[in-house]
Amino acid sequence: MALAGLKTIIALSFVLAIGFLLVILSAALWKNYLTLLVVLTYVVAPLPNWLCGRAANYDDFVDGGGAGVVDLGRFLTGFFVVTGIAMPALFAHCGLINSAAMVMSIIGGLLIYGTIISFTMFFQEEEEF
Amino acid sequence: MASVYASGGIFALSLFFVIDAASFSRSNLNASDFHVTFVDWIPLICAVLGMLVINSIDKTRLGGDSFSYSGNGVAWKARLILFLGFALLAGGLAGSITVLVLKYVMRDVGWPTLWFGVAGVFGSAGVMASSTLLWVAQNMEDEYTYNLAL
Repeated sequence: MALAGLKTIIALSFVLAIGFLLVILSAALWKNYLTLLVVLTYVVAPLPNWLCGRAANYDDFVDGGGAGVVDLGRFLTGFFVVTGIAMPALFAHCGLINSAAMVMSIIGGLLIYGTIISFTMFFQEEEEF
Repeated sequence: MASVYASGGIFALSLFFVIDAASFSRSNLNASDFHVTFVDWIPLICAVLGMLVINSIDKTRLGGDSFSYSGNGVAWKARLILFLGFALLAGGLAGSITVLVLKYVMRDVGWPTLWFGVAGVFGSAGVMASSTLLWVAQNMEDEYTYNLAL
């Protein structure tokens, strides 16, 4: 990626802070802390991709058997992202949380995940061989 | 590449349909006498097992022209296992429709309770769609790496 300046970092940290604010407010306003699970889901979500990408790097050119591991990582990442949206919807549908709390936690979680993704896109180190 | 992400997402969504039905059945909003029991989970378990079976087959063995493993009927056996996996998957869908009809529709339950059966059907159909998407994506990717290797 091109040069990622100081402005990008500041903007990303602002977005991350707004996301955390929304999720924490959705938990604290109604004294119901189930929505904090969304943060956990979105923090865990990029991990399988990184781990499996790192695991597949070693034997990439040897026998091409690493593609299955990469696919597993993508599958798990997609799983966690949809879990982060579906879990507040489930809580709201079953009457565990308010529907306003659902909307706030979904938006906050998406902001957090978007921050993580764009951070890795901007500041990815170029691999050298 | 994007379809693998979508496949994982659809899998999570179909799992959450059934979890939603189960937790709704235990919540205060459920005013009826009907509850989600283990019977409602069996079709989903069958479908997930079928997905596991299908995706654990090495796809190069289905063609029958691989020299790497000895034995005559390797391709035939692989196709048999594949058939077993698809049968489990389709059996999960059929079983969820059976549960919907026998447990809920035949007893004339109203809408909030009917969701338990409909969620089971959505769950099994979602697992089926997810594994189909994964199958197509991996086959396309295999083709691509094969061309790249040549």
